[in-house]
Amino acid sequence: MTARRIPNSGRIDRSKPVTFDWDGKPLQGFEGDTLASALMANGQTVIGRSFKYHRPRGIMSAGVEESGAIVSVGAGNRVEPNVKTTSQELHEGLVAKGQNAWPNVRFDLGAITGLFGRFFVAGFYYKTFMGLPPFETGRGTGIWMKYEAIIRKAAGMGRASREADPDRYDHMHGFCDVLVVGAGPAGLQAALTAAKAGKDVLLVEQDFELGGDYLADPKSEMERTELVADVIGAGVRVMTRTTAFGLYDDGAAGLVERVTDHLPNATDTQPRQIFWTVRAGATVLATGALERSIAFDGNDLPGVMTAQAAKIYLNRFGVLPGENIVIATNNDSAYDPAAALAAAGAQVTILDLRDVGPKAPSGVKVIRNRTVLSAVGRKKISGIQMAKLAGDDWQGAGRLDCDLLLVSGGWSPVVNLASHRNVIPQWNAEQACFLPHQSNEPIFCAGAANGNWTRDDCRASGETAAKLAMGVEAEMPLAGGWDTPIQPVYEVRLPNAKIKGFVDPQHDVTGDDVRLAHQEGFVSVEHLKRYTTLGMATDQGKMGNVIGLALMAEALGCEVPAVGTTRFRPPYTPVAIGAFSGRNTGSHFKPLRRTPLHDWNLAHGATMTDAGLWHRPWYFAKDGETIDDAYIRETATVRETVGICDVSSLGKISIQGPDAAEFLNRIYTNGFAKLAVGRARYGIMLRDDGMVMDDGTTWRLAEENFLMTTTTTGAAKVMVWLEELLQTRWSDLKVHVTSVSDAWASVSVAGPLSRDVIAACLSERDDISNDALPFMGVAQVTLKDGTSGLIARISFSGERAFELYVPAGAGPAMMDALWAQAKAVGGCLYGLEALGALRIEKGHVTGAELDGRVTINDAGLGKMASTKKAFVGDALRKRPELMRPDRAKLVGIFPKDRSQTFNGGSLLCAENSINGHGEGWITACAYSPALGHWIGLGFIEGGHEPWVGQSVTAADPTRADPVTVEIVSPHMFDPDGGRMHG
Amino acid sequence: MGDVMQVTIDEVTDFTIFQIACWPDTLGKMGSEAAMMTGVDAAPLPGQSATGEHGALLRIEPLKWWLVCASNAQLPDIDGELGAVLDLTASRIRLRVAGPRAADLLNRFLPINLSDQAFPDGAVGSTGFHHVGVTLWRQGNAFDLFLPRSFAASLIELLEASAEQFR
Repeated sequence: MTARRIPNSGRIDRSKPVTFDWDGKPLQGFEGDTLASALMANGQTVIGRSFKYHRPRGIMSAGVEESGAIVSVGAGNRVEPNVKTTSQELHEGLVAKGQNAWPNVRFDLGAITGLFGRFFVAGFYYKTFMGLPPFETGRGTGIWMKYEAIIRKAAGMGRASREADPDRYDHMHGFCDVLVVGAGPAGLQAALTAAKAGKDVLLVEQDFELGGDYLADPKSEMERTELVADVIGAGVRVMTRTTAFGLYDDGAAGLVERVTDHLPNATDTQPRQIFWTVRAGATVLATGALERSIAFDGNDLPGVMTAQAAKIYLNRFGVLPGENIVIATNNDSAYDPAAALAAAGAQVTILDLRDVGPKAPSGVKVIRNRTVLSAVGRKKISGIQMAKLAGDDWQGAGRLDCDLLLVSGGWSPVVNLASHRNVIPQWNAEQACFLPHQSNEPIFCAGAANGNWTRDDCRASGETAAKLAMGVEAEMPLAGGWDTPIQPVYEVRLPNAKIKGFVDPQHDVTGDDVRLAHQEGFVSVEHLKRYTTLGMATDQGKMGNVIGLALMAEALGCEVPAVGTTRFRPPYTPVAIGAFSGRNTGSHFKPLRRTPLHDWNLAHGATMTDAGLWHRPWYFAKDGETIDDAYIRETATVRETVGICDVSSLGKISIQGPDAAEFLNRIYTNGFAKLAVGRARYGIMLRDDGMVMDDGTTWRLAEENFLMTTTTTGAAKVMVWLEELLQTRWSDLKVHVTSVSDAWASVSVAGPLSRDVIAACLSERDDISNDALPFMGVAQVTLKDGTSGLIARISFSGERAFELYVPAGAGPAMMDALWAQAKAVGGCLYGLEALGALRIEKGHVTGAELDGRVTINDAGLGKMASTKKAFVGDALRKRPELMRPDRAKLVGIFPKDRSQTFNGGSLLCAENSINGHGEGWITACAYSPALGHWIGLGFIEGGHEPWVGQSVTAADPTRADPVTVEIVSPHMFDPDGGRMHG
Repeated sequence: MGDVMQVTIDEVTDFTIFQIACWPDTLGKMGSEAAMMTGVDAAPLPGQSATGEHGALLRIEPLKWWLVCASNAQLPDIDGELGAVLDLTASRIRLRVAGPRAADLLNRFLPINLSDQAFPDGAVGSTGFHHVGVTLWRQGNAFDLFLPRSFAASLIELLEASAEQFR
């Protein structure tokens, strides 16, 4: 292969030279080049090394189907491996490097594996590395991990950067009436037809120029220019450098737009790529066709490429890829490249397998009934051996010298995207290719993707596809267009010869591998794919699928359709993981919820923690305090004076309407129908299956107006549940539910001095004395600054406590006022850790206990299940299994030796009998300043009474030694509630 | 676009949201009441809004409207047999996204068609922004985005970071 740039040819801009780096060496190309065309123009022949055998590989195509010239692009944290040079647009400063080779692709020590190629057939590692013989024969055990590391190092492709991706990516949602994929003659015509009919058309093209096949045909440039101008003039929205990589349900298409990959100096603010989700009314696939190779010995040698590729390099990029060119073909399409190459000064010989074919182009020698038997050369081609058919067998037919071998084994329409929608391709024997079948969805193929080989047919099919997409009846041109029929050929080898004829060069899959798969029983097309890796990974069957299927059909003695084809999977070409992630990375992986007091908490020393999507104060450490020091101090302070805790994250749901009380009465296990205005009640709600769903207090603000509170993590689930009940089960009830979680800033003020602290912040009219606001009382109040709010006398800590609600925006001012008063009496701010310790002391349950496996009886709240009314879950909670007396029930846990600690999550086992899942488990633990030792909550079979006087083992086998504990009542502190009611 | 800002994002603070809900059998009557409160001839259909001298009425659900009005407005009094009213002002942060590329920026997050044909002036939509339910209201070439307050800071960070490309 002796390629050279020729003057006055191609679409490159010769006034704009571009310097780029190839394997550390500066080279020059031009704007409009691809990396492949620039490398070719610079005489580079070995660009890559093959996946398994490390065979030298050159440029084999001019498009996304490239299987040889695959490199790594970029440097440092921007390295992108496995980039096809044929798709990479050249730009100033581009850095590219060979991969899967040492020290470089031109001289690769890894090529030694090629010497053992006969052993490395498909599935060799499955059979060979099954364990250390004779000890592990047949068992893939520990030794496999060693083998695997070596195999992975020896085989493979490029290496991604281990550093974080520094680029930004966006997601985008797009909409259109008609999505046209591909801007060749068919796609342009389809877009124009639909746009002229008034449709909103989106035309996407993976290339950086519009035109497809036109781009390699200078004679048609005027036609292309006019068509593109018409398309733009008709209002078609055009996206270049954009690949439609997948089709999905309901007209959705996945696109990836390369925004800055071609820019030498992209700004930091621009996304590198945009991941589009386009919802289209109809889709036209004008995705073209890929030229096939033929499996013959050495068909992967640098200097072997497809015929159409040579024409593209010549006419689009101004590079004559060889001087002495042989073209092996079985169809008419290779004659056009032959004519162009000859006109450019090359010596061209066509080997046409057929008896008859088109007239030889000027300056081109045609030898009929011949094809290529093998490519000769070491790192680049120097000649070929010819073959001819003798009966059903091939036999040698002499040698030809050449520096470039072009192959055209037929064309495979790109049916990949249609295949994503379960459109099974149908084999067309006349054209020797799979054609798309009619879809049940509004998806229509046009142009070469539909098997139309001539320009006129392509444009006609584009117009037809657009009409069909608009619901207008039209007749699609029939597939075909060649004057002389194709003569199918997939492999050329002498009888029983062992050759390296590649079916899928990207994965080093040979014809022998396909036959081996057949021999070993992997005859299903899906098994063939997995056993040999044919058509897997980034290739997705572009190059080798048809050849592989044909060889399997031959081995089975059947026709290609009987073998079938695999379903192509998205993405059509690789998509960067960053594009899938978009901006949803790091702290934005999930949406973050902040309370109205978030900044206030941070300004007052809070260390935050995640609680579901919320950020909540975890603890407020003073100088030098650890988390343990802080929460123990906070817990003690609440019991001694007063503490303030941000509880804004609790779920809050407004329940309004004449039937609101009846609705609540049906949801909760206990009665709500008679709850008085100005009163709150604690309630438990069950799922239909009788398990506890959530708990919280509900406040009656007016006759038809309630405020329900839920757990922080249960809020969304409860809201959805209430809506579902109202819309599907009780649509007769006049009730509206609305989430008001975000409307309120809420604090719990707890401790013996809580009333004093709050009272000092309220207007003088507000009375929150025990008489005016007894336990579970609710009232409207006004802060001294005039802010209206709500107060409820409820307690999660077991202390005298109040929850104070003000509109969210007024939260910080409320905190300023409360904190000034609390601080003055030695109070504290407290976080989730102290909140947890306080509630464990009291035996109050949270999500840790109410984990979906717990009944109301298990939680020790069975008395709250009314026997006088129906409620959700009442029937199924009475299932015998759920009423078993020995079910695990809520208990308190003390360490036997009070100086010891134990872990949440430990299993509770009968003493010295650590077996299976034990008899129970620990859900929460904390140090109790009130009791002076560690305490816990958990569940154990039968509850605490059967275990009185017995020792139990808290087993935590993966983290700690067993600890002996005793089981106590869950109400470990102030069981009578005197402090709370005081 | 030269000096013209491609996208602007501003917080609107002077507003009140009153949610007006009706029952299936009071839709017509409540709609008339809501229209009267707003100062418009008729209550808008789903996905639409109507603007009158007292504010704008947004149809956010089949049985619910939002009356968006000045911040000093008083909560209307509605008979429970007719419907229910609720002050949601504090629950939302209101952003105004405007400029020639406003729809392009919003469509980086919102999966709804914001073209002039599909989402014209006055259109109202309930949609998702990074899995969070938000309300969108188009006013001329500007889009008002009502974000749940607790998510607002996180979502605004995303919006502003992406808007950098339109500077």
